[in-house]
Amino acid sequence: MERQACMRLKYAVIPACAVVALSLSGRVTTGWASPADASTSVKGTVKFEGTAPKPSRIDMSADPLCAKARSTPATTEDIVVGADDGLANVVVYVSDGLSSHSFPPPGQPATLEQKGCQYRPHVLALQANQKLEVVNSDETTHNIHPTPNNNREWNMSQPHGVPLEQSFAREEVAIPVKCNVHPWMRGYIAVLKHPYFAVTDKNGGFELKDLPPGTYTITAWQEKLGTQIQKVTAAAGETKTLDFAFKQ
Amino acid sequence: MGIGTLKGIALHLLAVGSLFAGMPSAYGIPAFARKYGLPCSACHEAWPMLNNFGQTFKDNGYQLGNERDAPIYQQPAYWPIMFRTTPVWHRENNNRQAIDQVPGNARSSLVESSVTTSGFDLSGVDAITAGTLYKNISFFIQPFIGNNSTSLLQTWVRLDNLARSHWLNLKMGKFELDLPISQERSLLLNNSGGLYYNYFFTPPGDNNFFTGIGVPQLGVELLGHSDNDYTRYSVAVVTDSNGATGLPSNQAYDVYANFNQAFEARRFGEQQIGVYGYFGQSPTYFQTSGGNPIPGTGTGNRSFYRLGAYGHWYIDKFDFYTFYMHGSDNVFLGNAVPANQPSRLPLGAVGPTWNGGFVEGHYNPNPRLILIGRYELARMSREANPTIRGNAGNLDIWTAGYRWYPIMSPRAGLAWTQEYSRITNAGAAPLSGQDDIRNSYLMGFDFDF
Amino acid sequence: MRLKITLASSALVFTLLWSVAGLAQESHVGKLVGHANRGKALYQRYCVFCHGEYGDGSGESAPYLDPKPRDFTKAVFKCRSTPSGSLPLDSDLYDTISRGVHASGMPSWKPLLRQERADLVAYIKTFSSAFQEEKPGEPVPIPPEPPSSPESIKRGGDLFLSLNCWSCHGKDGRGHGPSAASLTDSKGYPITPFDFTSGARFKCGDSDREMFRDLVTGLDGTPMPSFANAMTPDQRWDVVHYIRSLHVSRKHSEVKIQSAGQ
Repeated sequence: MERQACMRLKYAVIPACAVVALSLSGRVTTGWASPADASTSVKGTVKFEGTAPKPSRIDMSADPLCAKARSTPATTEDIVVGADDGLANVVVYVSDGLSSHSFPPPGQPATLEQKGCQYRPHVLALQANQKLEVVNSDETTHNIHPTPNNNREWNMSQPHGVPLEQSFAREEVAIPVKCNVHPWMRGYIAVLKHPYFAVTDKNGGFELKDLPPGTYTITAWQEKLGTQIQKVTAAAGETKTLDFAFKQ
Repeated sequence: MGIGTLKGIALHLLAVGSLFAGMPSAYGIPAFARKYGLPCSACHEAWPMLNNFGQTFKDNGYQLGNERDAPIYQQPAYWPIMFRTTPVWHRENNNRQAIDQVPGNARSSLVESSVTTSGFDLSGVDAITAGTLYKNISFFIQPFIGNNSTSLLQTWVRLDNLARSHWLNLKMGKFELDLPISQERSLLLNNSGGLYYNYFFTPPGDNNFFTGIGVPQLGVELLGHSDNDYTRYSVAVVTDSNGATGLPSNQAYDVYANFNQAFEARRFGEQQIGVYGYFGQSPTYFQTSGGNPIPGTGTGNRSFYRLGAYGHWYIDKFDFYTFYMHGSDNVFLGNAVPANQPSRLPLGAVGPTWNGGFVEGHYNPNPRLILIGRYELARMSREANPTIRGNAGNLDIWTAGYRWYPIMSPRAGLAWTQEYSRITNAGAAPLSGQDDIRNSYLMGFDFDF
Repeated sequence: MRLKITLASSALVFTLLWSVAGLAQESHVGKLVGHANRGKALYQRYCVFCHGEYGDGSGESAPYLDPKPRDFTKAVFKCRSTPSGSLPLDSDLYDTISRGVHASGMPSWKPLLRQERADLVAYIKTFSSAFQEEKPGEPVPIPPEPPSSPESIKRGGDLFLSLNCWSCHGKDGRGHGPSAASLTDSKGYPITPFDFTSGARFKCGDSDREMFRDLVTGLDGTPMPSFANAMTPDQRWDVVHYIRSLHVSRKHSEVKIQSAGQ
């Protein structure tokens, strides 16, 4: 009876037996153009319009080990503008156009470092279920405390040199990360379901490589300045250029 | 019209009069809800009836035990006071009252007739202030502001959790005894069924100073309970003045004790059984000066007791009280004869004894509705002397009603109630000797702020 | 014929999904099995005015309470026996309901029947889909406690400094460390670190075992982290002993050990 039901309904939009499989395993893989066929890419620059705000000094005197670890004084990192008004630390990613199929997370971990009592990188992007390695290069003990909306919240103390591994299961752009011991520390972790994301470098540049041809919605997210969305259609072999501009 | 009949009328009027004096002042205390932010339903099955959580809170000295109980944690403007009053419409009917045949003419003969009264009415206002004075010191002040008078129903202070133990709590003042089923938290308000008659029963012809365990008494009480309130005991030593202040009675002391044990019946809920007893001595005459009795000098003490057993049974959303009482008064008390004049005892005089009890059932489908049904009875097993007819004083009371709570809030409470009670006083009709039946119907609001 | 089979397979799918959902409608605490449908009626009676109709901690009384009532929809709980980031066990929720949370508006609900408390746990789990999608982690192991000693207390004090506990709790444990003023819980409300000198009872249980456990699990939803990776079990016991020695108003054996040494 079961088998018959499966077959009879194969003309329906979603086969019932496949739905059953979904509910039990949570993942469906149907045929998709493999990444080897992917031949397009989207690149561009994110710029800041207007006068760049001056970052303010961070006072780390509360923990002498922090001040000791730094050769230069620390400054706030919420808006970092580089050469040619390039805006750093913007997460640029494909938010639509990849249909409902999943990408297995890469084997190598993404690393978040606590150095000089700040997070390196300030904004980290990784894939859902990809291993996150947290490293404490400072002599002082930090605690790493992400406060997600769509993922499990955890809070781990990490002395110098002690390894820590975690992961996030669901897409979320972006999870604020703080250290309760050092209240000035602020970072972000963006979790994506697929590998087509980038965090702009200090000049605002990004590139999304090896995209299959198609029409995509690209979103740019900055921690203070919000999100911007643009659509792009890329044919096989094309490299599309896409620029974003944020202002306060 | 013999003495017996007049006595009957007098007793009847006395009974009715005492009813109005002891009009049930059932309460829930929204001040506690305001203090903690909990709704009424947390402590009350259906206020004023307590559930186990509320009973534990009360036995702990009105403390939740979360270190936010002491007054220092409250806003300075918060004062634990609550008001309760019941504006109602009610109808009373008595089927056999002795009334003048010609209204206004005292010399026209008495006839037995039905008397009915009805209308909108108000019992008065309870203004209760209760709570904690400090961690582990609780208090309760309950004046009753009636339509014509004000009385002090309860006033006490309690030292809670002495030696940091739930088993030692000391209360002193004027307080309701730790009754099997609290009269002060009765769900019913009407004239005929509001009281638990067994708590106020006095046999015909009896002049015992003490009128029943339902009357708040003056004394000290030691109460103890287990952590979850499943095991409880209390012992009270009170002055034998029936709660009256000014030392009007004697220098003897009465003792009341109550013990109950609850257990969980997994499928059904909490079940509780208990035993209680009140043992006292009342004066039968006083020292006099110029023939006038001197208050407080009561002497010729003779003993009496009330004791029994009870239970509280839960079956899911139903629950039942079962209650039994056996009462006995000494022969001098029972016949209203001073102990120094035994020759005045009628022939064949004995100490009256009686048995009584009630079954009260509730159906509480949700915190906003409760249905109530009760049957109560009292039966004299031995009258004080042979001139009293055999069934004098016997009572049968049937009651049905419901309370609906349209709002449930941590600030105030409102209930709508409808009740009907019917009390049959066997053979007490003043002229014909038939049963005297009174029925009361009540509907109205009960609000608690 | 097609319709019958469509219905039959829909029923099959529905039953399968329902059974997955149905498991989350139950709780298992020891031998007790709690049911969410019974828990719902109890929640309406006892809990809704603080924790809210939707279990999100915004009941009528919530604006007047500090700390705020728990938001069950986030499935983040302070008092657990599972690692940081993990869901609590059913027995953790049951214990919190029974014990209450000291110095907060959450009373001890021990006067409720054990079955009622288990039913409430089952209902609380329905507020967040996390309880259906994930399983709680393994309870953290708690080894036997070694006896207290001046050396243990000294080691604990050194760890208190090196692991930066003092930055929130203050060098004297009073809760006024340099970071304390900036602390917020995960909903953004200001939160103060515990004052160890006060002798107040800990929110998640007052025994040494429970304190040890809290160091391993952290208090999720608050700035208190898990020290699972940061200390060995023996070091954690040293910290427990040190913290007890700070309780000057309620004398533990550690306070006597400290003052004997002075």
